[in-house]
Amino acid sequence: MSDLSPVHASPQFSLIQSKGTLDWAYASFILASTASVMDKEVELFFTFYGLKCLLKDTSGLKVSPLGRPEMIVKIPVGPEWFRKVDWNQKLPGLVWSLPGMSNLATLGFKQQMKQQGQMPIEALRETCLELGVKMTACQMTVDMMGLQKDDFIDGVEFAGAPSYFAQTPDTQSLFI
Amino acid sequence: MQRLDLTGLACPMPIIKLKKFLSQNPALQDPFIVEVSDSGALKDIPAFCQQQKLNCQLRQSQPNIEFQVQRGADV
Repeated sequence: MSDLSPVHASPQFSLIQSKGTLDWAYASFILASTASVMDKEVELFFTFYGLKCLLKDTSGLKVSPLGRPEMIVKIPVGPEWFRKVDWNQKLPGLVWSLPGMSNLATLGFKQQMKQQGQMPIEALRETCLELGVKMTACQMTVDMMGLQKDDFIDGVEFAGAPSYFAQTPDTQSLFI
Repeated sequence: MQRLDLTGLACPMPIIKLKKFLSQNPALQDPFIVEVSDSGALKDIPAFCQQQKLNCQLRQSQPNIEFQVQRGADV
């Protein structure tokens, strides 16, 4: 599918991913794939916890309402009125600290994304690579977190912030 | 007319599939129908078509959204 990658390197888009939660991984890969399919050259730079988005093992990509009052938590099963309830508003924050809660919230989030017509995160990430999105893991934070190159999916490059700045445009960059 | 069924897909999959379809059919000049269910696509498909220099006309918005898309025409 490499024929889908941009033919000319004119408009560019870059993004620094610092968050390693499932919801923010979706946000970045959705933006990146969209930009790429609209002929932008896309550069994603993953640093600190954002590195989790590039690991072969995606089991560490979770969501938890703990300490995140902005999150909307809905249960994607049951009757209509039940599915509309935002449990993050209804329940005391303490509930999210109970064992198994982040797994439960992650399961619910994945189900919600599926119902929405979204692909699993691994497939979306693969699509980005097929579209020609360039992904770079920050070498300093890879070392700092004791990760190995083997832990990362194929197609990822390893470099530092200077490389990121050398390769990215002065037009549009986001920090997530 | 050829029909591209992109229903049940959420942003950004409809435009990814549309782009894929175009690159797999490089010689296609005839208009074709793009069917989507994602309500955001109502604005996104025309925006994508404009950027990609494709002619795009909304045919219907209920029950599913349907566009007629054609290459190389005046935008």
